[in-house]
Amino acid sequence: MNITRRKFIQSLSLASGSLLLFPACGGSQKSVWRFLTTEEAETIIALAEQIIPGDQDPGATDAGVINFIDKQLVGFYSNFQETYRNGIAALNQYCHEKFSQPFEKLEWNRQTEVLKLMEKNSIEGEYWKENPASRFFRMIRDHSMQGFYGSPRHGGNRDYVSYKMIRIDFPHIIGQNRYASRCETLNAFAK
Amino acid sequence: MKQRKLYRIFLIAGIVIAGFFLISGSFYTYWSVASPQKTCLSCHEINPSFNTWEASAHRDISCFECHGTALSNGLHSLKEKSGMVFTHMKTDVASENLRMTELQLLQTMERCKNCHESEFTNWKSGGHSAGYADIFLHETHNKTEQLNGDCLRCHGMFYEKTTADLVDPISQQGPWKLIEPEKTRQPVIPCMACHQIHAPGETVRQPDFANPNNIFYARNLTKNSVGFYSRHEKKHFQLEQLPRPDMVLFGDTVQTPADPVYRLCVQCHAPSVWHEVGTSDDHTPVGVHQGISCNACHEPHSNNQRNSCDKCHSDVSKNCRLDVRTMNTTYANPASSNDIHFVGCVNCHPDQKKKSN
Repeated sequence: MNITRRKFIQSLSLASGSLLLFPACGGSQKSVWRFLTTEEAETIIALAEQIIPGDQDPGATDAGVINFIDKQLVGFYSNFQETYRNGIAALNQYCHEKFSQPFEKLEWNRQTEVLKLMEKNSIEGEYWKENPASRFFRMIRDHSMQGFYGSPRHGGNRDYVSYKMIRIDFPHIIGQNRYASRCETLNAFAK
Repeated sequence: MKQRKLYRIFLIAGIVIAGFFLISGSFYTYWSVASPQKTCLSCHEINPSFNTWEASAHRDISCFECHGTALSNGLHSLKEKSGMVFTHMKTDVASENLRMTELQLLQTMERCKNCHESEFTNWKSGGHSAGYADIFLHETHNKTEQLNGDCLRCHGMFYEKTTADLVDPISQQGPWKLIEPEKTRQPVIPCMACHQIHAPGETVRQPDFANPNNIFYARNLTKNSVGFYSRHEKKHFQLEQLPRPDMVLFGDTVQTPADPVYRLCVQCHAPSVWHEVGTSDDHTPVGVHQGISCNACHEPHSNNQRNSCDKCHSDVSKNCRLDVRTMNTTYANPASSNDIHFVGCVNCHPDQKKKSN
């Protein structure tokens, strides 16, 4: 088969150009998280920051609590996947109906009010009738605390920020109990 | 005719064997010299390790120089690799959680001496080269304090199982024995206990002689490779990440050494939970040596401290008209009541105490 130089260049240009379309094959943009969608992660970041806000010390966002929750949702907490997905959807539905914004876009004080409603089980919504909002609130609170105060190997407490905050020496510095004799010598030294 | 046929068979067999060695030899050579990204990483799920290695002072050293090749240990290696494939197929372990076994780590450590022979020899001659039997079958210790899980924090930090899997019985009444006899001579404090081989760092290079400050004043003194391996966290903490403990002595705060190396030592030579100087395994210096780092007297690998007094005291001893090497301290006599870690001026100058009173 004979091919002209013009034809070859045209084909080459077409083939190279089509490479640019490859990224579109992946469909919608993938989340950087293991289980959560980008939108869900933003809501949880806001929820966790409400529970442990950053002040002079780091808060939940600085400690990477979101990474802990997301990591555990594909691990030990995989049984909470549905609770998270449905709970966040219901919370954001409530926020959209009341304030025309998702939870994470609300002002700080308004976010606090919404959380208080959840804690008291007073938030409106069909979903919350079957699934108590207070239970969802407690779950988020507990997981935020675990992510903030737990070991970084579980995904949160980035750079041991909470240990530094409460001045825990980490790794712990604890010796054995057997050398009482040295204390006695020190006592003699003090005299 | 028959001879010709035989000749042809030998020829073909020779070509096949030569071809096999040529191809496998070339393949093996390529595998040994090419970038790990093109070789090791194409099968081993070691991306996190590769990333840390690439930023480390060891980045010019190929994986196989420390970790060996697929055939370094013959059949054992092949069995090990088959095990990895099996684990990959059967379990869902994230690459961030994959680690070397203790045995692999100890095999790797044996290759440290190829470059760090002096350090290795010093380590071997010191207390930190103790084996499992030396520590876990120590009768005096075992009768004084019962073996427990926390022993492995500082002795056998890479051991995959528990103390109960290591020693029998777990009680203060012996006789004790190691459940796995092959562990008898295995070191409980390998190089990696205090060194993070993949720690970020610069490769060795000559200073810029155009700027003399680089040779001395502006020299980079970071000790990146030194760090503490936490068995609990399964990771190394670099010196700067380790806490400098608040230490007390009879209610008063003690000035601890500013040298970050002290933070490493105190992890295992640790005080009681109240952080009182001299309790438990602590050797934080107080008295005249308060604030002085462990490294000032102890050689880091052998821990040898002989003749260390001379480093600072050659003149002072003249001032005092006392030879510090023969003074009544534990330096000269281990039975002395004047422990070098908390000896005070009054221990040797009792008349000065009267004056100050």
